[in-house]
Amino acid sequence: MHELGVLNSMVHTIERIVKEQNVTEVSKLVIEVGELSGIVPRYLEQSWPAASYKTFMEKTELELIVIPGIVKCKGCGRVFNAVYSDLSCPDCGSSDMEILEGDDMIIKEILCC
Amino acid sequence: MKDFKVLEIKTSVFADNNLQAGKLREELKEKKVFLLNLMSSPGAGKTTTLVRTINGLKDDLKIGVMEADIDSDVDARTISQTGAKAIQLHTGGMCHLDAQMTRQGLEGLDPDGLDLVILENVGNLVCPAEFDTGAVKNAMILSVPEGDDKPLKYPLMFSICDVVLINKMDVLPYFNFDLEKCKENIRLRNPNAIIIPISALKKEGIKEWTDWLHNAVKSWCE
Ligand SMILES: Nc1nc2c(ncn2[C@@H]2O[C@H](COP(=O)(O)OP(=O)(O)O)[C@@H](O)[C@H]2O)c(=O)[nH]1
Ligand SMILES: [Mg+2]
Ligand SMILES: [Zn+2]
Repeated sequence: MHELGVLNSMVHTIERIVKEQNVTEVSKLVIEVGELSGIVPRYLEQSWPAASYKTFMEKTELELIVIPGIVKCKGCGRVFNAVYSDLSCPDCGSSDMEILEGDDMIIKEILCC
Repeated sequence: MKDFKVLEIKTSVFADNNLQAGKLREELKEKKVFLLNLMSSPGAGKTTTLVRTINGLKDDLKIGVMEADIDSDVDARTISQTGAKAIQLHTGGMCHLDAQMTRQGLEGLDPDGLDLVILENVGNLVCPAEFDTGAVKNAMILSVPEGDDKPLKYPLMFSICDVVLINKMDVLPYFNFDLEKCKENIRLRNPNAIIIPISALKKEGIKEWTDWLHNAVKSWCE
């Protein structure tokens, strides 16, 4: 279960951050998930109860924002959504592209009490 | 009403693991131990390649192996027969190892006195790419039957690898696999990757690989 491992890692990252801020309760997390991150938002939602079980975030709500996978073709310069173009340029067919956005999973906001 | 606080942080979810991995690498540098993370799809030939690698280097280097590929000790036993120190890591069904699990594995192996430790990661091209294990170098094996377009489908894996071994070259005549096209696809994802075609079964190309590894270990342990 890929998403479960990712969430476990995230729980550790957040644990460290909130400790530094002297916070003990987190009511909500806002997470950005890129379409090119290889992480599936639906699986994140399904895994969250298991990942947060018996941690300080057991009651924390998880909000996901999907970031489109935007790339720039290195052949012709066209900027497009890689997911809808099957990973090749709709103009020149090249597979050589630079990722501009959407290859990461980022903790955007932590809402605490 | 309770005080409400919003921390705007914009940190990668992998931040903590990356931090742990960096720490582990520093400690390995101090101990003069080189950790190699070996990844591939299931059955691409990690264990077979490992055995060839150990046999090629065991006169020059003290080698240890951490097996995480499957929850059985079959692979660890195969490796033990080469004389290398080997342990089986039980990943409990996890699809990758993170830096913390790698550290625990190393403690179990006790790497003092070893020059090279090879981690056979879980067979999978997605998750292990996202988790820095703390290894000094990453290598992956792509086998001919998997197809020459694999680098296009798994961009992250290829972008983080220092070396790509193209294994099972002995079966090339039976597959629609274009070696030059494959190299080109790998370079699209990672222009710096070192690409070495091998046949672990027929022991071909192994020397070029072990020479590269030997040099990498030497410069790390200097
Ligand atoms: N034809 C051929 N088969 C190979 C080669 N390397 C490994 N194999 C076979 O592929 C299968 C899986 O190999 P193994 O090393 O266990 O892969 P792992 O799952 O990545 O550790 C075994 O049946 C090996 O004998 C090779 O170079 N050529
Ligand atoms: Mg194996
Ligand atoms: Zn184009």
